[in-house]
Amino acid sequence: MLKDVIRSVDYSDCAEIALAMFVVAFAMMVFAVLRLSRKSADRFASIPLSDQVKDPRDE
Amino acid sequence: MESFSYDDDISRKFAVATIVWGLIATIAGLVVALLLVLPKAFVGLEWLTFGRLRPLHTNAAIFAFAGNGIFAAIYYSTQRLCKARMWSDVLSRLHFWGWQLIIVAAAVTLPLGITQSREYAELEWPIDLAIAVVWLGFFGVNFFMTLIKRRERHLYVALWFYIATIVTVTVLHVFNNLVVPIAAFKSYSVYAGVQDAFMQWWYGHNAVAFFLTTPFLGLMYYFLPKAANRPVFSYKLSILHFWSLVFIYIWAGPHHLHYTALPEWASSLGMLFSVMLWMPSWGGMINGLLTLRGAWQKVAVDPVLKFFVVGVTFYGMSTFEGPMLSVKSVNALSHYTDWTIAHVHSGALGWNGMMTFGMLYWLAPRLFQTKLWSVKAATLHFWISTIGILMYIVPIYIAGLTQGLMWRAMDETGQLVYPDFVETISSIAPMWWLRVVGGALFVAGVVLMVVNYFMTWLSRPSAYEVPVYQAPRLAKQADYREPAEVSEAIKDAPMLEAAKKLDTWSRMGWHRRWERLPVRFTILVTLAVVIASLFEIIPTFLIRSNVPTIATVQPYTPLELAGRDIFVAEGCYNCHSQMIRPMVAETKRYGEYSKPGEFVYDHPFQWGSRRIGPDLAREGGKQSNLWHWLHLEDPQSVNEASVMPSYVHLLDTAIDFDKISDRVWAAHMLGAEYDKELTNAPEIARKQAELVAADIVSQGGPIKRGELMTYDTQAVALIAYLQRIGTDIFATPEADESSETDGPAPGEVPEDVDAIPEVAAGQADPQSDATG
Repeated sequence: MLKDVIRSVDYSDCAEIALAMFVVAFAMMVFAVLRLSRKSADRFASIPLSDQVKDPRDE
Repeated sequence: MESFSYDDDISRKFAVATIVWGLIATIAGLVVALLLVLPKAFVGLEWLTFGRLRPLHTNAAIFAFAGNGIFAAIYYSTQRLCKARMWSDVLSRLHFWGWQLIIVAAAVTLPLGITQSREYAELEWPIDLAIAVVWLGFFGVNFFMTLIKRRERHLYVALWFYIATIVTVTVLHVFNNLVVPIAAFKSYSVYAGVQDAFMQWWYGHNAVAFFLTTPFLGLMYYFLPKAANRPVFSYKLSILHFWSLVFIYIWAGPHHLHYTALPEWASSLGMLFSVMLWMPSWGGMINGLLTLRGAWQKVAVDPVLKFFVVGVTFYGMSTFEGPMLSVKSVNALSHYTDWTIAHVHSGALGWNGMMTFGMLYWLAPRLFQTKLWSVKAATLHFWISTIGILMYIVPIYIAGLTQGLMWRAMDETGQLVYPDFVETISSIAPMWWLRVVGGALFVAGVVLMVVNYFMTWLSRPSAYEVPVYQAPRLAKQADYREPAEVSEAIKDAPMLEAAKKLDTWSRMGWHRRWERLPVRFTILVTLAVVIASLFEIIPTFLIRSNVPTIATVQPYTPLELAGRDIFVAEGCYNCHSQMIRPMVAETKRYGEYSKPGEFVYDHPFQWGSRRIGPDLAREGGKQSNLWHWLHLEDPQSVNEASVMPSYVHLLDTAIDFDKISDRVWAAHMLGAEYDKELTNAPEIARKQAELVAADIVSQGGPIKRGELMTYDTQAVALIAYLQRIGTDIFATPEADESSETDGPAPGEVPEDVDAIPEVAAGQADPQSDATG
């Protein structure tokens, strides 16, 4: 019965819903990235350059 | 305060394994390239045929060479990015030795013909189980526990890529390899036909995405700034292209199945997301290359940076070409041709190869705590490899384009200009020779690297220094100041409360928190790939109209089932597709285009992705049984220009009829409606084999070796299968009934099996017509 119910569901809009989901997620990420401060971005970008342990870096 | 040191021994182990397997993988590639131009090179050695060695080459390149390379990178960089030793040395060692054992198992089983015959997922179920345990149980647990126990609060973007790699490969591997085992090294995919094809390319494309792309991007984000001594060009761009890649990549697989029996909506969706993929991919390339801003003078003298620059450039080229190839009209020309092979190798040799070499040269002096034996040799390796790649891919691009154009060429009367498939192969043979030269150069470069590494290792100190660091643990709660509820600028402004809340939310404090929480971050990545996958998988499996049933399509007979397994074991899909696309040139060459309902009993699907030989989707009934026998014995005897190797061993290897019952039961469990076959499979198979053998004898075979004709050979079973392929669609229920008076239809065994004349043995007549 469950099989019949699932089969009767119309999946034809899946692609459009998926695309909308991606666009929303992408827009959120663009927004998040734009709000990231230059100071933080520069600090994060330099993480691999330092092998020294500066205490635990909590910031 | 805690004391800790980094475990570089595990990185050393993986680095050395990378080089060793890199040499083996590239030599295997050179051998299969030679087999194409010298198909008789290993005549009589069944474990060295193209069909069996090609998967060995691809698996060695992907999982042995690239796999060990990314493990070396991850173990080295993760410890430093987390400021912590790997969580468990035992798990690290179990991972290393377990992975090497898996590679050895693959190297033994694939030449023996133990394979699922699904591209990049060929290994049989016991090895698949071992992969799951080693990948997630040893590697994954160790990695995630290291993240949790780290001493650097922020998770650097390279770690994000590693997380995506571990999570997604696990999901892909598990769901693509769901099988019904029937023996220690034999199983059937639970998916059939169209659905199997969809799952396989969902896996296959994302193996490229999450095994050959995301870990290498992580590698790039760590080792390129280290080598250039420059921070990443844009951390913001890295965040953006990471999430875009993770969201988009998982959708793109169906573009491998354009114009096949896969539903149109799925392949269109795959194309759409593939084209979109171009942007985040180039985000990575641009970020990599611009990291070198102000440091380009170093590229002139440093072979490590040379490798990285060419590697990232090849990434850009491949990720431009990939979306282009996913466009249906372009794919119509390129698919099944050598163009795909050139594309794959520009990515594998150029992107994965060069990035791995660059990383290994950077690591060598650090891991062995000595100077690199020869910078000049490393630079020479760079030039040899670069020239080798170009000499490899340019001729193969030309070969692919030539093939595609010749296959579709039609004259003004609407006839094929090159109706004989072998003409299209003969015309590109010179390009295959050039590829051998390019491949040999690339192998020579790897040999040079092996020497350089070995000499560097010889000059290592008697005991490695292990620096000990001291630092307290991270506080359980981050000392992170949330943005003030309302910013000072608008605190007292006359505006709606809702606008103030929006301002707080938009400052993304919540996202900064996520970036510091590995478990939550991992869950988000998992959700991204799983939800995206479900949007394709659920409709593919549940919309009935995707696979319209065809009443006349019936399960394979027991003998045909056994014959199909031989087809699978020999890796015939490496050269022969079983998918006629709905294009005029294809239907004229091969016959009616393939329908989804024709494949409902195919576990696994065998559509192939390349044509070195003609398509076999309508092979049934095209040639006589004797023709097939001769073709397996000596392909050049029926077609002088054929590049197919001899499968003479199939003529001499007996088939075990008693084991056919297991195959029938498994097929039945997966949906094939069998009746008397369930209890009487061996006898039914024997009788059909006798029919095939009798037919071969009646046409004068066997001929060449003058041997006795026996019915219990693998060749007979394979011929039974080949004669069945693509015939059901032309049968009608009415025709089946009427055929009772005219003899059995293709694939049908008469009810009265005792009436079949005994043909256990018969002397060949060399004077008979060999062409049937």
